[in-house]
Amino acid sequence: MAILVNPDTRVIIQGITGKQGTYHALKMLEYNVHVVGGVTPGKGGQKVHGVTVYDTVAAAKKEHQVDASMIMVPPAGVLSAAIEAIDNKIPLIVIITEFVPVHDSLVIRNMARKAGVRVIGPNTIGVISPGKGKVGIMPGYIYSEGSVGIISRSGTLTHEVSSNLTYKGIGQSTCVCIGGDPVKGTDFVDALHLFRDDDQTETVVMIGEIGGAGEELAAKYVIENGYPKKIVAFIAGQTAPAGKKMGHAGAIVSEGFGTAESKIKSLGEAGITVVRTLDELLQAVQ
Amino acid sequence: MKLYEFEGKQIFSQAGIPTPRGTAVRTAQAAIEAAREIGYSVVVKSQVLRGGRGKAGGIKFAADEQELVQAVADLQSMELSGERVEIILIEEKLDIAREFYMGITLDPRESLPLLMVSAQGGMDIEQVARDYPHQLFKMHLDPLAQPRMNQMLDLLLKTGLQGKQLVQAAKILHNLVRSYFAYNAITAEINPLVIDASGNVLAADSKVEIDDSALFRIKAVQGFERKTEISDPLEAEAKSLGISYVGMGKGNIGLIAGGAGLGMASMDMISAHGGVPANFLDLGGDATMEKTADALRVVLKTPGVEGVFINLFGGINNCEQMAKGIAQVIDELQPTQAIVVKMRGHSQDEGWAILESKNIPIIKFGTTEEAVILLLEQMNKKRVTDHGHFS
Repeated sequence: MAILVNPDTRVIIQGITGKQGTYHALKMLEYNVHVVGGVTPGKGGQKVHGVTVYDTVAAAKKEHQVDASMIMVPPAGVLSAAIEAIDNKIPLIVIITEFVPVHDSLVIRNMARKAGVRVIGPNTIGVISPGKGKVGIMPGYIYSEGSVGIISRSGTLTHEVSSNLTYKGIGQSTCVCIGGDPVKGTDFVDALHLFRDDDQTETVVMIGEIGGAGEELAAKYVIENGYPKKIVAFIAGQTAPAGKKMGHAGAIVSEGFGTAESKIKSLGEAGITVVRTLDELLQAVQ
Repeated sequence: MKLYEFEGKQIFSQAGIPTPRGTAVRTAQAAIEAAREIGYSVVVKSQVLRGGRGKAGGIKFAADEQELVQAVADLQSMELSGERVEIILIEEKLDIAREFYMGITLDPRESLPLLMVSAQGGMDIEQVARDYPHQLFKMHLDPLAQPRMNQMLDLLLKTGLQGKQLVQAAKILHNLVRSYFAYNAITAEINPLVIDASGNVLAADSKVEIDDSALFRIKAVQGFERKTEISDPLEAEAKSLGISYVGMGKGNIGLIAGGAGLGMASMDMISAHGGVPANFLDLGGDATMEKTADALRVVLKTPGVEGVFINLFGGINNCEQMAKGIAQVIDELQPTQAIVVKMRGHSQDEGWAILESKNIPIIKFGTTEEAVILLLEQMNKKRVTDHGHFS
């Protein structure tokens, strides 16, 4: 049945009137997603590709059932947009925006946990359940329906691995890009937990990278709770130099912490199949 | 953005944290004037952004003007971890009775700010954690709540602080926590926090790093001057173009990747096949034709590059625009290096057509590994051809 996004998911886009918001509203409509509204304060009543724009999330919620919001506003506006979505108890909030201040992410993450809603991101391409729907900006046609669940910190590696799998005839249940920032709404452990009981998902692929502790915590979760499905993991940045920020705010190795080696070792100890290259990943999943 | 010690102390001082009297200077003359005002003896502290300054001899003392001039000259001729000393902080010399540690950093395990205090001040916090783990007292901070004075007092009580000093230190800690949030810091540290012979408590050092993504709204640090901290001129050029480029200082394969994860994985794949990545480059989420062209120009300028691997996705970006940028540089520079492009996603057919018209090998449906193997083959071919040409 896939996780997070299904054919009935009703989505609003906060920031729909921006260039990116408008473009991806169309891409989501083309993917048969129920985009029931957009939100841009001051632009209520306008239409974007036939979708009604509301001034606030509450106004959109008055007219529609809203299961998810995709936030595509500039970094300085993300905090208030996310708080608005949380206040309105939108169950799934996907923050696409990159360069959100870490202190804002800290507030968003903790508010969402208190309110019992799920935030994915920031700095993510979103979530796709191929063939069913997406709340994200990925090109739908490089994904295909199947039984591999993907959890990734990197957007382009989500595309890369999914398209490689697609071209080999292996489909995906849901691909969750948790985002490249150090503080995010959903971590590896949360996503592993969601895939755990999903009947469509037979294998889970974890795409990690250097920096942070998410992969180590995932290993700990698997050791403590066991896991009923095969997990295959890949860590990007094995050859990255220490002390340099590799594009993602979260991808920096400092004082030996968050190295590829420590992650590979932890995951291996948890019985997770750790592959060294993207092509080995394909073989391990097949 | 990392702050110099004197900048961090300015922020502390504005937040009500007592700091030693001092002035940041750039010349010996200015140092002499500053020391006269403060009164000898003074501490002469090199202002650098990297750690390990004390051990490297970057802090000196001067009891009179002659010693001061010598200390300034010594520091100015110094390079600390590759960083030239340009700014020197002249400060009153404290009569130190005790040293403590207090600092806040992000705990990646809990995704929460972690407040730490210790009576073992003056050494690296990593060393305290290793050698005196039972003397390091920690508390997570709630990003949704104001820090409370009683929490500060309770934490500091564990360090053995008492009486007037306990209260003074708690006020400082409270202000440090408030500054950490107000200035959107990644790290805010006072090490050491000094109790002087008269019983005053003050911040003898500062270590503050502000979140780069928050700089737009932190007015207090916008006036802080920064010469580019980047020693690699190509890194500096790329940064001015808004491109995330890291030079490796060696290597024969240049890289342009559409995304950080894909970039790192591409480097790993190049290494796995015996190539040496010359750079990391993440084109980011706003890859226009111009930005793609700029990126390719920077990579082609990277010394030692014999081949370029361009590994892109049209997710938030558009393949046609990126292909136009590549084609533009091919026309303009007619590079001799081998170039292989792997690209798919939004507008891929249009993008592929543009690249095909320039005879650039494209991996359409294959993997990153197939693309790297193709690039290495092309580089070998070129080597053979060039060799033949020259002999």
